[in-house]
Amino acid sequence: MVYKNIICPVCGGSCDDVQVNLDKENGTIDVQNACKMGNAKFQEVVSHHRLLKPTIRENGKVKDVSWDEALEMAADILVNAKKPFFFLGSETSCEAQEVGLHIAEYLGGMADSNATICHGPTVMGIQESGMVGATAGQAKNRADMIVYWGVNALESMPRHMSRYGVFPRGYWTKRGRFDRTMVTVDPRVTPTAAAADLHLQLNPNSDYELLSAMFTILNGKEPHPSVEEITGIPISVMKQTVEMMKESNFVAIYVGLGVSSSYGKHRNIEIALNFVKEMNNYTKCNIGALRGHCNVAGFNQLASYLYGYPFGLDFTKGYPRYNPGETTCVDLLREKDVDAAFVMSADLMDHIPADSAQYLADIPMICLDIAPCPSTTAADVVLPGVIDAMECDGTFYRLDNVPVYFEPFTDSPFSETKSNEDTLKQLFAKVKAKKEA
Amino acid sequence: MEALLNTGSTIDEGRLAKGGSKYTDDYTKECAVCWMCAEDFTSLGCPEKVAVISRDRKYSVAVTPKVTEAMRTGQVFIPRSIWANVVVEPDTFSTGSPRYKGSPVFVEPTDDEILSAEEVVMKMYMGGK
Repeated sequence: MVYKNIICPVCGGSCDDVQVNLDKENGTIDVQNACKMGNAKFQEVVSHHRLLKPTIRENGKVKDVSWDEALEMAADILVNAKKPFFFLGSETSCEAQEVGLHIAEYLGGMADSNATICHGPTVMGIQESGMVGATAGQAKNRADMIVYWGVNALESMPRHMSRYGVFPRGYWTKRGRFDRTMVTVDPRVTPTAAAADLHLQLNPNSDYELLSAMFTILNGKEPHPSVEEITGIPISVMKQTVEMMKESNFVAIYVGLGVSSSYGKHRNIEIALNFVKEMNNYTKCNIGALRGHCNVAGFNQLASYLYGYPFGLDFTKGYPRYNPGETTCVDLLREKDVDAAFVMSADLMDHIPADSAQYLADIPMICLDIAPCPSTTAADVVLPGVIDAMECDGTFYRLDNVPVYFEPFTDSPFSETKSNEDTLKQLFAKVKAKKEA
Repeated sequence: MEALLNTGSTIDEGRLAKGGSKYTDDYTKECAVCWMCAEDFTSLGCPEKVAVISRDRKYSVAVTPKVTEAMRTGQVFIPRSIWANVVVEPDTFSTGSPRYKGSPVFVEPTDDEILSAEEVVMKMYMGGK
C-alpha cells in the first residue's frame, strides 16, 4: 500500500513529502523523495537486524528476557541509583522525551539530550544575545543570499539546499538557484563548499576572529592586519562578503557545529548573532542552526517549557538547575558524577569522547534503541524501540523550531508497547511502584 | 605529526548509521578513515595505516589514511563516528559540548589493527569484557 506525505524522522529537516510503499507480505519497502539517510532509516521497518526482543546482561552474558523482566530490571537500576542520568535522545517524539524528563524529576536525577552535544553552545549563544530568526519557509521565499557557516549541508541535511536553502523557487526568488548567492565558510572543501559561489576556507578554530573582523568592517572600520594570518582569509574577501550581504534583500545564515563546536564555542555564536543584529541596520538578515538530529530542537523546546532550561537539567535538589559544564552529559560522565544511565533513541556511546564513554560502559546502563550499536553492546538492559513517524504518532520540532505532528503508516511490531512514550510510561509506573513500596 | 582534527558527517556515514549498519565492514571502511592532504601523507612516509592519538597521548585509534584535496596541511578529518570520538578532546569549556572540531591530535604511522565499532566498545571501553 502507498502512503503519502510521511514525515522523515532522520534529521532536523523533517521532510514531510516522503512517499512509502510498504509490502508487508514480502517484507519490502519502497521509499520516494527521501535522501540516502532517510531511505536507510525507512528500511529499518523491514530490516533483519532490528532489535525485537528485550535483553539483559547477567554475569557478563546477554540473554533474551520478557518485556516485564526487562522493565523490572531497568526500574531496579534506576531506583537503586543515587544519581541516575537520563539521556533522552532526539530520534523519538517530544511525548516520549516528556515522560523521560518526568522520571528524571521524580527520581531526582539528571537529564540531557543530543541537544547538548549538538547545538548546545548555539543555544547558550542565543541566551547571551538573542536571535534574529525566521522559519525555513521565510528563507525559502525571501532569501537571495544563503550563508552556510561551519556546516556541510549537503551531507548532514541533504535536502536542505533543495527544500529551503538554495534551489527551491520562492515567492521572491522565482528563478531558484539563479536568484540566490551562496557562500560557505568551512576549513574543508566539502561538497557544499564546491557548490557555493564563494567559499571562505578559514583556518580551523578561527571563526571568532573572522566574525569579529567582519563585524569591524560592517561598522566601517579596518580590522587589524593580523586577522589575515589568523583566519587565512584576505581582508579584501571579508569586505567583499560583507558588501554582498549588505546589497542583498534578505540574507539567511545557517550555522553548524563548525561554529559552535570549535574553539570559542558559544562565544562564536554570540558574536555571529550580534553581527546579524547589526546587519539588520542594512538589510534583512536572519540566522538559524542546521540541526542534524531529528527532534533535537524538540528537547530544547520541551525542557525550556517544562523546567525553564534548554538542556543539562539537574533535579538532585528537588528543583531544576542548569549549569553547562557541570550538569551536562559529557561532563557528568567524564567526572564520574552519575551512577546509572538510561539512554533512549541515541547511540550515546558512539558520540562522546573516550573518557566519558569508558565510564558510561562501567555503570549500569539501560538502552532503548532499534538496532545494534555501541550503546546496546555496553548496555545491561536493552529495550527495543518503536520507530517514530513510521510505527507511532507524535511531535517533532523542525530545525527552525516549528512543531511537526507526524502520523504512522504501520503499527508497532510489539504487542507489549505502542510507542517509546508507552514504554517509558510502563517504566515510570514500575519505578513509582518500587520507590513507593 | 601534529594536526587539528575535524570531525563531521559524510553522506555514507549517515546512510550507514541511520540504517542500523554500524557493525558492518562498510561502516568501518567509511568511518575508520583519516582524511589528509598529500603533503602530510608523504611526510608520514605514505603508511598503510595511521594512529590518531589524543593530545595527552592517553588514547589512540588506528585508521586508514585517505589522501584528498579537501584538506589543508596540518588538518585531518575523520567522519563523525566512534573512531573519531576516541581522540576528540573531552573538555567542553563549560558548554557541555566537546571539541568535535579543531581538537589537537598526533598522527603517526602504525601497524595496529583497525578495530570494528563493536571491537572499539568491547576492547577500549569495556576493558575486553
